[in-house]
Amino acid sequence: MTILAFVLLLQLQVPDAQQFVGPPKGQPLTGDALFQRTNEVGALLRCPVCQGMSVADSPAEMAVNMKNQVRELLARGYTEEQILEYFEKSYGQFVLLKPKSPVVWLLPVLALVLGLIVVFVKLKKLQQAPDPPTANRQPPTADDPYLARVRDLVSGEKS
Amino acid sequence: MNRTVLLVGVIIAAVLVGVLFMGLGKNPAEIRSPLIGKAAPTFALRQVGTTNTIDISQFRGKPLVVNFWATWCGPCWEEHPVLVANARMLQPNVQFLGVVFQDQEDKILSFLAQRGSGYPTVVDEAGKTAIAYGVGGVPETYFIDADGVIVAKYNGPMNGDIIREHLQKVMRQ
Amino acid sequence: MIASLGRILILASLLAAAAGAILGFAAGRTRSADGLKWARRFAYLYSALIVGAALIMVYALLIHDFSVSYVAQVGSRSVPTWVTVVSLWSSLEGSILFWGMVMGLYIAAATFLTRGRYAEYQPDAIGVWLACAAFFSFLIAGPANPFHTVPNPPLDGPGPNPLLQNHILMAIHPPFLYLGYVGFVIPFGFACAALLKGRLGHNVLKPLRESLMLPWIFQSVAIMLGGWWAYEVLGWGGYWAWDPVENASLLPWLTATAALHSIMVVERRGILKGWTITLIQATFLLVILGTFMTRSGVFNSVHSFTQSAIGPTILGFLAAALLFTIALLAFRIDKLESEGRIEGAGSREAMFLLNNLIFVLLTFTVLIGTVFPLVVEAVKGKQMSVGRPYFDSMTVPLGALLLFLLGVGPALPWGRATKEQIKKALIPPVAGAVVFAALGYVLGVRAPWTLLTLAFGGYAAYVTLAQMFVPMFQRMKSGESLGTALIDGQLRRGRRRFASYIVHAAAVLAIIAIAVSSSNRQQLELHFTKGQTQQAGGYDVTFLGVEQRQEPHRLSTVGVFNVMQGGKQVARLEPNMNQYQMMREPIGTPDVHTTALRDFYISLSNVDARAETASITVFIAPMVVWIWLAVIAMAVGALFGLIPAMRRGVIPSAARDPLPGAAETA
Repeated sequence: MTILAFVLLLQLQVPDAQQFVGPPKGQPLTGDALFQRTNEVGALLRCPVCQGMSVADSPAEMAVNMKNQVRELLARGYTEEQILEYFEKSYGQFVLLKPKSPVVWLLPVLALVLGLIVVFVKLKKLQQAPDPPTANRQPPTADDPYLARVRDLVSGEKS
Repeated sequence: MNRTVLLVGVIIAAVLVGVLFMGLGKNPAEIRSPLIGKAAPTFALRQVGTTNTIDISQFRGKPLVVNFWATWCGPCWEEHPVLVANARMLQPNVQFLGVVFQDQEDKILSFLAQRGSGYPTVVDEAGKTAIAYGVGGVPETYFIDADGVIVAKYNGPMNGDIIREHLQKVMRQ
Repeated sequence: MIASLGRILILASLLAAAAGAILGFAAGRTRSADGLKWARRFAYLYSALIVGAALIMVYALLIHDFSVSYVAQVGSRSVPTWVTVVSLWSSLEGSILFWGMVMGLYIAAATFLTRGRYAEYQPDAIGVWLACAAFFSFLIAGPANPFHTVPNPPLDGPGPNPLLQNHILMAIHPPFLYLGYVGFVIPFGFACAALLKGRLGHNVLKPLRESLMLPWIFQSVAIMLGGWWAYEVLGWGGYWAWDPVENASLLPWLTATAALHSIMVVERRGILKGWTITLIQATFLLVILGTFMTRSGVFNSVHSFTQSAIGPTILGFLAAALLFTIALLAFRIDKLESEGRIEGAGSREAMFLLNNLIFVLLTFTVLIGTVFPLVVEAVKGKQMSVGRPYFDSMTVPLGALLLFLLGVGPALPWGRATKEQIKKALIPPVAGAVVFAALGYVLGVRAPWTLLTLAFGGYAAYVTLAQMFVPMFQRMKSGESLGTALIDGQLRRGRRRFASYIVHAAAVLAIIAIAVSSSNRQQLELHFTKGQTQQAGGYDVTFLGVEQRQEPHRLSTVGVFNVMQGGKQVARLEPNMNQYQMMREPIGTPDVHTTALRDFYISLSNVDARAETASITVFIAPMVVWIWLAVIAMAVGALFGLIPAMRRGVIPSAARDPLPGAAETA
């Protein structure tokens, strides 16, 4: 309240998101929806003084300031994109917990496709392998170590 | 010899070790500013201990050094005398401005009384100015040229050489 | 004096390890029994020396000998004794010494347990173990020396990091983690030995599997303890943040789990040998990577100890280990002969291949996410972050797939199976899927991924329980009593199998608990004045006031809350903010009321002792306790499976051992 009084009294002006991303493009939020969205958007912003925590989770004063800023911007109707853009403009991409680069999202997908191909090929190769001679065939239950030792002695591999 | 294994293995190893090697010696906590080369966000904040407002645009026309600090920050104690001395030398050709946030009025005033001021200090109440400037921690200092464009940013406590070096960058603009 | 003694022991341990490694590798080439004997002796010697050095450090800590540099760094006369012991691993140099100690214990145990056996592999395995041991002794002797002599010893020290003194879990999590991490060097040794010999014989599978399983058990518990600690202590209501160092502990666990599965296919069918070996190598390499990540200062993380020469040294070791492993694999992997085949895509073996694929994908994804910011910075000079939103999006679908396989895999028979058999195996468990999903829906689960997880989980639960108990019922049908069928059949003979199903059942529970506790979590922010009562998710929370407690090393400001439900007292919670003398920002500790059904968690965001107001965040999350309990059950189950099977006879009766190759459900 005192701050508000000061602001009104002294025509204080803090740098505003408007300078960075223009006027709000969405609907102002209130109540539960505001609380929900503050946490959601806060979870996408990285606290610059913590180790990797999001602004939504971190108790550090810097993070709390940022979270309050997020809440205020959402209440004024700024969209998630605008808010993220605002923070990106002042902190850099570092502050975005969800990476913008498509490469990092595509690499695992690429790996999945490649992996499936490899598995498929390996499966085919193993299916075409010749039936092994019975001497090498291992019976399924290998639980008994005594049996294993006998088997090894018999096949010449001394344990 | 299995060529596939060799190739894949060497590629993975080279990339991994190479990247990690390049990461050594860098401080992961140091964030570089995207505002360099962009217009400094404007603000008008209250001067500490008074009801005066200081608007940053009133300093257009000469280089400006904006130093974000707080009384609880150790390195800020170290760098303060350096800033005061440089301000004394360089003002009125170069303007110095201190911005304090996350701090208490009485602490700021007693700090300045004990250790000298010599340039204006303003209070950033909810840290909004700090956010707009992308301040991660304190002390962080911005070097702004006569047209209001941020030319350089330095994270951490400054000494005379660093101030000179960065001011040269500003002067060159 | 102690410092000098410590330094001597470390240097001696380095020499012993180096000598033993050379002897081991030499004995591996010459097959000299004498050479092996000496390598073993040096292994024991190394172990005694490094454990001795560690014990001396603990002694120095306990008697507060501040002339030893490490003690001056983390010791303190004003902390409780358990904190003094714990400070052995609280800071960088001490933690590497602790690493050495665990390594010494593992190598001694492995050397002892392999006495007289595996003569083909033992020398090279010992060579590898001791080579790694030598590196760590070198690290302790040089860049990470905790035994410097302090010229003017102070009278008291600062004590370990306050964050570490907040909770007893800090005493337990690191030892478990090291028992996991360091333990992976043993199977790594066997794997390298197999490659050097160009053979993965059936006889070495048992030590390979068991030496992989024990660290895996410790690692699983360690990861869980880390999450539990984060939950109980950090106050943000979560337990896993995909922090680089959390990822460092997860990566080797993923490949180790994959290896534990594919080794079963090697045992049964003699195939996937090269693949299994690669996974085991990868596990240990990821351990080295993990230790680099934690100690090099390259990664921004809660755990980072910062360093100087340690980072480059460990990186050097990683590079050397990578080169050695790649060379070994490239030149030898083709020598590991496949002894069998896969009968069909609808077989359990094929499912194991898929299982491995998914674990490897998970490993790759987590690794990419962790390392990508470094790559970008190296290549483009830009700084970017890869955080929770990325990891969560990527791992949730993969986790769901894994859960799916957990059901389908054990349902399918080994070997050739007809379409009829496959249908008979895969269709009935759908009932489990429906029951679990329906139950979840009725109890309030609406999130699609969670419902899917419940369905897959229900399917897997049906299959697991069937695999555990149907054979037992079959035995009872042929005349055995319940007691005999259970104890003799499952717990004695089929122990490994039964144990693995316990682990699976626990895993299903853990995954379901994780999914449900995240998607059905309630979060509220409340502001209180003294005496005020407010509603929170069906509970009534009253703020009783603020208490301030002065302890020797910190000032605790406690907010006292009463939690009631339906008029009855549920809990008295005391979340607090601790102001430590040496830290600027206070550290908050939440307080949690845990029941079987849900956790009621209060975290203080703001408290004013004078104005007697408090702001809190309340989390109400269902099933959280089941996450911790399930992982403990996994560990116990796996441990149970490690108990050696009783010797009942040389050849099990034919009735219990179907002919090899035929489709079975056992």
